[in-house]
Amino acid sequence: MFHEILSALVAVATLQNLLIMIAGIWGGVIVGAIPGMTGTMAVTLALPFTFYMDPVPSILLLVALYKGSTYGGSVSAILIKTPGTASAACTALDGYPLAQQGKAGKALNMALYSSVIGDFVSNLSLIFFAAPLAVLALRIGPPEFFMLMLFALTTVAGVSGSSLLLGLVSAALGLLLATVGEDMYGSFRFAFTPDMQAGLSIAPVLIGLFALPELIKLVVMRAAKKEEAATLGAQHVTREEFMGSLKTILKGSVIGSVLGAIPGIGPSSAAFFSYGEAQRSSKTGANFGKGELEGIAASESANNGACGATMIPLLALGVPGDVITGVMLGAFMIQGLTPGPLLFQTNIHEVYMLLIGMLVSSVLLFFAGKITMRMFAKVSHIPQTLLTPLVLLLCIFGIYSIASSTFDVAVLLVMGVVGFGMFLLNIPAAPFLIAFILGPMLEENLRRALAISRGDPAVLLSSPITWVFAVLILFVLTITVRREIQKTKTERRVAQ
Amino acid sequence: MPKPVLRGLIIVAFFALTAFVLVPAFVPRPAFIPGFAPPPDMWPRTVSLAGIALGALVLLLAFTRPRAAEEPVETDGSTPARMTVRFAGLMLAFVLFLVAIPLLGFLLSTVLLTLCIVLMTGERGHAVWIALLAFGGPILLQIFFHSALGTQFPKGVLTKPFGF
Repeated sequence: MFHEILSALVAVATLQNLLIMIAGIWGGVIVGAIPGMTGTMAVTLALPFTFYMDPVPSILLLVALYKGSTYGGSVSAILIKTPGTASAACTALDGYPLAQQGKAGKALNMALYSSVIGDFVSNLSLIFFAAPLAVLALRIGPPEFFMLMLFALTTVAGVSGSSLLLGLVSAALGLLLATVGEDMYGSFRFAFTPDMQAGLSIAPVLIGLFALPELIKLVVMRAAKKEEAATLGAQHVTREEFMGSLKTILKGSVIGSVLGAIPGIGPSSAAFFSYGEAQRSSKTGANFGKGELEGIAASESANNGACGATMIPLLALGVPGDVITGVMLGAFMIQGLTPGPLLFQTNIHEVYMLLIGMLVSSVLLFFAGKITMRMFAKVSHIPQTLLTPLVLLLCIFGIYSIASSTFDVAVLLVMGVVGFGMFLLNIPAAPFLIAFILGPMLEENLRRALAISRGDPAVLLSSPITWVFAVLILFVLTITVRREIQKTKTERRVAQ
Repeated sequence: MPKPVLRGLIIVAFFALTAFVLVPAFVPRPAFIPGFAPPPDMWPRTVSLAGIALGALVLLLAFTRPRAAEEPVETDGSTPARMTVRFAGLMLAFVLFLVAIPLLGFLLSTVLLTLCIVLMTGERGHAVWIALLAFGGPILLQIFFHSALGTQFPKGVLTKPFGF
């Protein structure tokens, strides 16, 4: 194995491969940082170029784009509260408050370090644990999936802000909105217009809910006009800050690697999961959502950690875990490689080249991130009254270009108004988004599990994995309820 | 009406409307559902009923819990009436933008929307930048998305002869 890895390293370390990876990572970071442009879009766009390339460089280009775009999402999430990708939504919760405090540089650096470490851990897990993780992933059926998603939904408690109850209301709204469109048996739910039959896409809902309320606030209340343009401020993450978040970064990387290996979960759910876990276990958990570096570390390490891990089911089983790996499966096939167990026998040299290339791309991500950070830092010098309309413009063009749909642009604007309404009523937006993303998976797997068991709900506790999640859910609920009771008692005492 | 009470009422009303009006009317049950699979309205109905319960709890707590001081919303000191007018103006701009796309095309509609929004923020100081943002921004973005992604932006009925 050592000899094969060494020869793969030599084969990867050519100028051509390095340039391809640099271009992929950098392109991905820029695409990810533009609101409305997704990693899927970047990978799909690059696919035709790979037709003329050798197999390994072509796959490395696509993987580099995927990794870069996942990190890039954090840049706009931190600087302008507009997550470039859904997986960066949690990053906005702490990144934007930090930017407002003049610590955008710190937030961007922490996002970069966490992303690089998460990515590196994920690549190592791909090299050493691809087979066992793939087997574990295969054991996840609808009941296990449902319990896993239910556990991920407990993240709501962590992002509800001052009121858990309002967080739950927000989550219920998100779950309800996620039911719009065609269900698993072909019924069109809440399809008030023909466009709604296909359901609501994540991108317009996400960006509308996070970015547009800022614009509406600016127009209606004009508070930001008085503010100075935010500056990057304190740039560096101190050694103490980094060491304080290291445990969270490593935990997030492992969470991302394990969840990324399960087909269908993807970086967004991994980020929510990791954020919730970090908030629960951190000493500074109460500061999450107000500008806590550890929150950024949890989110970014997990979403980038999931990137490499999504390659595990693809390479080991030939099963694409999400849309991007689906596109990559196509790229493999075009290049005459068939992912699956046989790939490790017939094309082991290419597999090792790919794995080594992915490790190298983690290092490149660090440098690309550092350079891009300086470029995007200029954004913080633009006055709010010009920046916010510019963000709207980017959002409108980005959202339209995803599906060439004016309906999506309308959804973006409507969700902005909904987000503003929620702001006025003090209902937090983050639980809404988590529920909107997890909702379809939650419902579909519940209904599948019940269909398999002929309607017997006991199926949800039918395997050791489901029991593990059930215990974890109970544990989290107990802690949350206890914390709420203590909070109420304190409030009463203060009021008296 | 105090804000917490209004909030509770809005939540209960919204979920009740969904559970008792929208779900029966807009979630059709297929004639045949294979096996023991739950019907399509199971999930939205369950979530709506849970929403009503949560809303009722919010309402209950609004009356029983000591009211915690909520963070004041930062404004420029305008009266609520003026802010309502600004909000209505913005909604009108959004609606007109969507209506204008088939008539004026995507490009011209976004130029007008951007110009309108910048002026609505109260910005008057950077005339050159406003012009660049409102006119240059949409043109550059349209060129970029069209050439890089091949996106076909809708042309307007009225502006088609001019090519956009």
